[in-house]
Amino acid sequence: MKKSKLFLFAVVLLTLVSFTVLIPATLLAKDDKPGAGMYFRLVTHGGNDPFWAVFQQGMRDAADELGCRADIDLCGSDQNLMQKRFQEAVAMRPDGIALVINDNTMWDKPVADAIAKGIPVIGTNNDDQKGSAGNARLCYIGQNERRAGLMIGRAVFAAAKAGGKNMRTLKVAAAVEVPGANYGVVRSQGIKDAMEEYGIQGDIDIIDATLEMTTAESRITSYLIGHPDTGAIFGLGGICTDRITSGLKNAKKSPGQIPGGGFDATPGTLTGLKTGYMVASIDQQQYLQGYFSVYVLYLYKKYGFLPQIDTGGYLITKDNIALIESLSSKHVR
Amino acid sequence: MVQREAGNKTRGERSALSNDKFMVRFLSYRVSFTLIVFVVLLVFFGIFSAGHSFFGIANLTALAKLAPDLGIVALGVGTLMIAGEFDLSVASTIPLSSFVFTKLLGWGTPHALILVITLLTGAIIGMSNGLLVVKTKLPSFIITLGTMLFWRGIVYAASRMSPIGIMAWLEPDAWLLKVFVGFIGGMVPVQFVWFLFFFAVLGVIVQLHRFGNWIYVTGDNQIAARAMGIDTDMVKTVCYVIVGVLCSFMGMIQNLRIESFAANQGVGFELRAIASAVVGGTSLMGGIGSIPGIFLGTLTIQIIDNGLILMGAPAFGINAFIGGAIIIFAVLNVTVARVTGK
Repeated sequence: MKKSKLFLFAVVLLTLVSFTVLIPATLLAKDDKPGAGMYFRLVTHGGNDPFWAVFQQGMRDAADELGCRADIDLCGSDQNLMQKRFQEAVAMRPDGIALVINDNTMWDKPVADAIAKGIPVIGTNNDDQKGSAGNARLCYIGQNERRAGLMIGRAVFAAAKAGGKNMRTLKVAAAVEVPGANYGVVRSQGIKDAMEEYGIQGDIDIIDATLEMTTAESRITSYLIGHPDTGAIFGLGGICTDRITSGLKNAKKSPGQIPGGGFDATPGTLTGLKTGYMVASIDQQQYLQGYFSVYVLYLYKKYGFLPQIDTGGYLITKDNIALIESLSSKHVR
Repeated sequence: MVQREAGNKTRGERSALSNDKFMVRFLSYRVSFTLIVFVVLLVFFGIFSAGHSFFGIANLTALAKLAPDLGIVALGVGTLMIAGEFDLSVASTIPLSSFVFTKLLGWGTPHALILVITLLTGAIIGMSNGLLVVKTKLPSFIITLGTMLFWRGIVYAASRMSPIGIMAWLEPDAWLLKVFVGFIGGMVPVQFVWFLFFFAVLGVIVQLHRFGNWIYVTGDNQIAARAMGIDTDMVKTVCYVIVGVLCSFMGMIQNLRIESFAANQGVGFELRAIASAVVGGTSLMGGIGSIPGIFLGTLTIQIIDNGLILMGAPAFGINAFIGGAIIIFAVLNVTVARVTGK
């Protein structure tokens, strides 16, 4: 009984020490930093994707450096929930909101209303297709998806040309997780731009690969077996890009026989780059999107800066994989 | 002579009658329709796929390698459905087991122990599902919807949703790779052999063993089953454990095949597994279904997917065909039940 009382006393004492020493020390440390007392909120449609872990890491690192507070809403692609979270964020009257503008009309009024109330709102990760002409957001931080599509298209078509393929009749396929989603549509437009540059006629064959790994691999494999004349293949999202290498192997293709390319740096994609099945993959550097969202809101609050930042277009090839691999475990790449 | 002709006629009539009886009896089984459609689809895709590529070595090997992922899970989910319950949490048991497997691999745990702990993970999740369902007496659809969200949340929080490659911790000749994702004779994927193994084991248990009878009776009429002295709570909990273990096994072989843990493993499997069982003649109300039916059902769904793409069907129309097939099979099941009284 005595022992238990002593134990209880020790626990209470330790708790008091924590509250009286550690927490004020942390707060003091934050007060020394330039963003102390500021609060920012990032409202996103993310959630079910490893992509957002890196985005959050960027946000956390920036908040730590500035000594401000920043929270993120991950709404799992639920548009209604995302609208609710945005309204809640506005009601909290933070020092700024970074919003994923994943719809060309839905965010027009909410963003304009929030700005009218004196809350700065910037776009991050996704923007209105018309940019500032389509939405009142103050600026945008993220990848220019069409340019990213153009870049990966150029890289893959250059490999196809070097491999002696007839560029005029080259059959191009692209697998996408969510057919019709904005990212896939705009990225494929960029690939079409590259097709025009290389004189490739015809359209892109879209493979509805789904978000599930085995179904994606199965459908990519079936497509490649059923269309042996395929000349180049793309993954428009990270999951599809990850499965392209296995799909090519299942269809008994040798490395480079059908050059592949895509987006993000997942383990399957890195294996494909190392083994020569994949030519390149685009890293949209989402760490920077989370990081700069906090920094830009801070700089706007303090100095009124409003930069447009294109974070994307980093081409991962077999030559720079080592850098990506060393940073991916830290949730930076 | 006249008598002989009369006698022959009688034998012919008898033979025709016997054939008719066989057909009636054959068609009275729900799995018969799945079997017929399965064979028709094989012939159809074999003829009409581009360059008859459906029966090409590359396609058959790919099917044998990829179909077991859903197939193994569907065998468990279908068994549970015969017992009258659902398990939506399979979609989360798969990535959770894969995550446990990956972490243990990263910590340098002996491979045999990794295998045991990974399978135990599924068994524990299955048992907790089973106990929650039988003790609370709430619909399993709601309970396992909750556990699906709960475990997926745990996986996302623990992994921070980042993929984790495993090949840095595995030698290329590791027995785990050979035993679970290797090839026999350089042609036959081991995954398919495992699929056949689970098909055989569950087939014996459900169709031939006394425990199988308990499963059917529990799913058909729980009150009657209890009156017969069957511990229906135990039967259901064991079925949930079977589902959990199969999901863990599948999560592990998928992890080894894609050479990484991915937080989105198993997304959508909860409904696709149910759809496979329904196509295989399993009743959504419990008490009706068979392991051969579920086996054929999952293969049917997957060859529809595969064959349509080989034939160059429009990319966005594949799901419409699969959805249509599920509805047709569900209607056939109800019709057979009405006609045969089964």
